[in-house]
Amino acid sequence: MAYVAVSGGREAIEASIRLLDYYRSGTEKDVELEAIQEKLSLLVDRVMGEAGLYAKEYAALALKQCEGSVEEAVFLLRAYRSTLTRDYYTTVTDTKNMRVVRRISAAFKDIEGGQILGATYDYTHRLIHFDRREEDAAALAQAVQGELEAQTPEPVTPCPRVSDALKQEGLIDTYEPDDTQPWDVTEHMLEFPATRSARLQTMARSDTGYISGLAYSVLRCFGGVHPTVGELRTGYVELCVPYLFDEQQEICIGEVLMTEVENFIEADDKDQLKLAVGYGAVFGRNENKAIAMAVIDHELELGGEYPTQDEEFVLMHGDSLEMNGFISHLKLPHYVTFQSKLDAVRKTRGQKHE
Amino acid sequence: MDKKRLFRIMAKASDEEIRELASDIIADHTVMVIKEPAKTLAMIKMQEPVKESLFYIGEVIVCEAVVMVDGTRGMAVTMGDHFEKVYHMAVIDAACNQGIFAGEKRLMELEEQQITREEKENAMHLKTMVNFQSMDSEVG
Repeated sequence: MAYVAVSGGREAIEASIRLLDYYRSGTEKDVELEAIQEKLSLLVDRVMGEAGLYAKEYAALALKQCEGSVEEAVFLLRAYRSTLTRDYYTTVTDTKNMRVVRRISAAFKDIEGGQILGATYDYTHRLIHFDRREEDAAALAQAVQGELEAQTPEPVTPCPRVSDALKQEGLIDTYEPDDTQPWDVTEHMLEFPATRSARLQTMARSDTGYISGLAYSVLRCFGGVHPTVGELRTGYVELCVPYLFDEQQEICIGEVLMTEVENFIEADDKDQLKLAVGYGAVFGRNENKAIAMAVIDHELELGGEYPTQDEEFVLMHGDSLEMNGFISHLKLPHYVTFQSKLDAVRKTRGQKHE
Repeated sequence: MDKKRLFRIMAKASDEEIRELASDIIADHTVMVIKEPAKTLAMIKMQEPVKESLFYIGEVIVCEAVVMVDGTRGMAVTMGDHFEKVYHMAVIDAACNQGIFAGEKRLMELEEQQITREEKENAMHLKTMVNFQSMDSEVG
């Protein structure tokens, strides 16, 4: 592959960038950042996840800047993030204590703590509500706030994991806590075989469409199994960092919303059956991505001949920035290489006609 | 009040609420800025439940500040880019360390409001708790 530097075009490029405003403006009405952040929150969640950066307002701003392009927004967030120092690592974040807003199981009808549907489109009719063209946003917000205020408070209690009971029964393998410091793919190139931490971090940052497509291929028999969602939980998780003047103490820096999935799969254990588990975790309410990640996590553990069981294939092709950057490079000048190919084609045709 | 609880309340409080809590300290004591409020990143370390191993799910933007109140240090880190808030949080932390913070009662009130709000939100979510009836007699 060869590239060639070109010069010129400066005025055209500047005009092209100005023209973006023409496309971006469209109307005199503005889209407020708060509106993007709160009303397009699933899109914001997706961008934050793929950027690997939890920053709602910045994700909303990035989306506004690039006409809602997910890959451009991810690029902007990643670029911005690279200008900042990283002075903190959180203490180990424990999702067991998640303030749950949704929790379901496809494996068990009755689970300790209950199945909480939360806010889901799963049971909605997929019909466009044309009356929402004229929706009174202020009235809606006030009505919902009123409903919240009228509630009788219910204490928040952590929900045990569905897998805990199966572990106690010996149906799922248990492991001692492993405190090995994680591999960080933002600081070190991936190496193969990848560590479990590198694998999970890479998939958590991967493009939602990519990882979902891979998981779909597994379910369509280009993979090992058809898993069951043992537990899907979405909720707020508290983040803490050590206190600067006394590392024995920690301070709470806020909460992030995340979705976590454990898939259960039948597996052999010498002469008896047991259950294997695939794991996925993502920022926000991007639950299909979390399920897909859990499907692929298990495929990678399993290994085999399918693309989804090939670690290098899965981990090297799903990063939004790298994937779209590489595809985008096809638009760059390839004049010399293409001329060379064209010359070869012409020469060969000429020889045939002689 | 331990640091975790103090910072939890402050993180969930509004910029205005924290400003009010810090205002008397700033008015009555000498505050020196050791580290100006600035943005940085915190990497989120998670423990996954399958093999109990650690991994990084992603980063979060935080801001931090370090101050000194009457010669005693205080610091704060909080999510987002609320420079004024993180400065006031650091002032409150320093006042706590110095033993001169008089807003503990107000902090408790804020905590109660925050818990009540979360419990009301929880009540809304618990209304979606489902009791599926199996139509297959073999599934209990």
